[in-house]
Amino acid sequence: MENNHPKIEVLNENQKNTLHSASLEVLQETGVNVHSEVTRKRLAEAGCQVDENRVRIPGHLIQWALNQFPKKVELYDRNGDSAMNLEGKNCYFGTGSDTPFVIDLDTGLRRNAVLSDIENVSRLTDSLHNLDFLMCMGIASDVPPSISDLYHFRAMVSNTIKPIIFTAWNSSNLEEIIKIADIVAGSHENLERSPFLALYAEPTAPLTHGLLSCEKLEVICRSNLPVVYTPGLITGASSPVSSAGAIVVANAEILSGLLITQLINPGTPVIAGGGGMMTMDMHSMIASYGSPEFMLNWCSLREMGAYYGLPVFGFAGVSDSLIFDQQAGIEGALWVLLACLEGGNLIHDVGYIESGLTTSYQMIVAMDETIGLVRRFMQGVSVSVEDLAFDTISSVGPGGHFLTERHTLDHFRENWRPDIFNHSNRNDWESAGAGSLGDKALQKAKKIVADCTPLPLDPNVKKHIDDILTFAKSRLNEMD
Amino acid sequence: MEEEFEKIFNAVIEGADENVANLVAQTLNGGAKAGDILNKGLIRAMDEVGNRFESGEYFIPDMLIAAKAMKAGMALLKPLLVNAGVASVGRVVIGTIKGDLHDIGKNLVSMMLEGGGFEVIDLGTDVSPEKFASAVREHNPDIVGMSALLTTTMIHMKDAIEAIDDIGLKKQVKILIGGAPVTQEYAEKIGADGYASDAIKAVMLAKSLMDLRKN
Repeated sequence: MENNHPKIEVLNENQKNTLHSASLEVLQETGVNVHSEVTRKRLAEAGCQVDENRVRIPGHLIQWALNQFPKKVELYDRNGDSAMNLEGKNCYFGTGSDTPFVIDLDTGLRRNAVLSDIENVSRLTDSLHNLDFLMCMGIASDVPPSISDLYHFRAMVSNTIKPIIFTAWNSSNLEEIIKIADIVAGSHENLERSPFLALYAEPTAPLTHGLLSCEKLEVICRSNLPVVYTPGLITGASSPVSSAGAIVVANAEILSGLLITQLINPGTPVIAGGGGMMTMDMHSMIASYGSPEFMLNWCSLREMGAYYGLPVFGFAGVSDSLIFDQQAGIEGALWVLLACLEGGNLIHDVGYIESGLTTSYQMIVAMDETIGLVRRFMQGVSVSVEDLAFDTISSVGPGGHFLTERHTLDHFRENWRPDIFNHSNRNDWESAGAGSLGDKALQKAKKIVADCTPLPLDPNVKKHIDDILTFAKSRLNEMD
Repeated sequence: MEEEFEKIFNAVIEGADENVANLVAQTLNGGAKAGDILNKGLIRAMDEVGNRFESGEYFIPDMLIAAKAMKAGMALLKPLLVNAGVASVGRVVIGTIKGDLHDIGKNLVSMMLEGGGFEVIDLGTDVSPEKFASAVREHNPDIVGMSALLTTTMIHMKDAIEAIDDIGLKKQVKILIGGAPVTQEYAEKIGADGYASDAIKAVMLAKSLMDLRKN
């Protein structure tokens, strides 16, 4: 008997149909701004109505785009082994990217992120069992800003074998990063066959495809490599404040973005579903990651992704709290549960606090543990002959106990066990120092950062990458 | 002979109770002393099981099934040990207090104590103060263990201690109590000699009390 897996549902079929029609109507009537002439020209040739920057898209083109792209995206690890199959309800977790700040492991104070943070977070991600992929977390403040994305990528690829979702500041840096990836994979053909990376790029809300984004899409789609292209809007500010209106704007960005990628290179693997719909706090003006409206809106967008058969980008382990505290744990864990109940697929930002401005090592470690717990929950209940334990119930009978039954011994290890969450009794906890979750998460993060030794790159590959960075830096100096 | 002890050691660690009984019988037939089988096979194995528990490799069911296997071997050794004048680690009378039918905790402690080499006389559940007292008179234990899950039944532990005191035997035994609502403070308040927060600590406490007794 197949297990039923726990799930939730926010939208019904009628609601999804209505949101879909409204999105098509917005694309047709209002359209989107496209700031790249090349992209506009291609859209016009395909049948869009172009008026200066504004591009109005007929519904049949969206339908065409939905039929072009592969319904699943498979990512590999650095060794070329399959690591993530982004389709259906498969749910994979990873860190976020590009926070200006981190909480220092030793002082506990917030400071600017530096390159060694990205190396540390890469090692942490490499080591934590429930994290499946890596984003760079911080923006390194101690390397030349215009090519810091190259430094980020080198730090990541040198310190984990897990798949990397990376950002690039512009299309020429993106080309350099792909060069680096080709060297790591052995050749571009290898990289295309078993991509261990995907680019993250985004439209600009509301309803705008910027020049830099369009140029990056040109490069990545022509390289036949996977790309995440999903909206990031702040409801009430860059979209309507109401859920339905915000979902329509986000969905219109998703569908027009998908069309742009498929016109460049039909069949390009795109993670186009989902995306950020942070709620603007109308007092503090922060883009809230912990609001129930963002949760509701993301769940809806995830369900629209399933409606179209798109692999989906999501959020978990994120919080508005300014430190790793109770609020961070609660918001982060709610997101993990929602992401799993909705069924994934590429769930990022694990470790974000301060609404995505700051990375917390403690948060990453505590959320890794939470993901383990939720993944166990998601297995559901197995109602097999073995699990029904009919014979064992009968042999123990009323009033007996199951502690020494073979059935118990055979199955108790299926129960989830915590690593840093407390399951001790008070006496044991007190004699172990009465540590909080924060204390234990910090200890674990420090230990991994100090001890973990990821599989190194081949020395020749490393040298080749170093040469690319040295060259990029020298070119920069010439320009100064 | 060392090879036979090693087989018994491994069978206990794997929790293979029938194998342990067979191996003990064979080894006895081969001329081994019961005390050697006990120390070099069974007790050494339970020490190893304890180490594996501490290191996180073994869990409660692994320990209990090993204890069950040890008990199967002990059943054969016990009459021989008595004849040879080898004392058990200690004798424990144990039970769940009057009004309380919850016996999982008490059973855990019993099984762990047996795994630790103790002789355990289990009075079962809903044991009245008088029954505890008469069991102390009858069995002459080193230790009396009492357990309660409910705050409403826990108060009867005090009555049971008084009942043992009334027949003049309280000084001859050590009284250990445990159970979810019980604390060290409560143990001191009602005149118990010790409290353990879980079954593993109960065995450690029982062993340390036996060491004090012997010295």
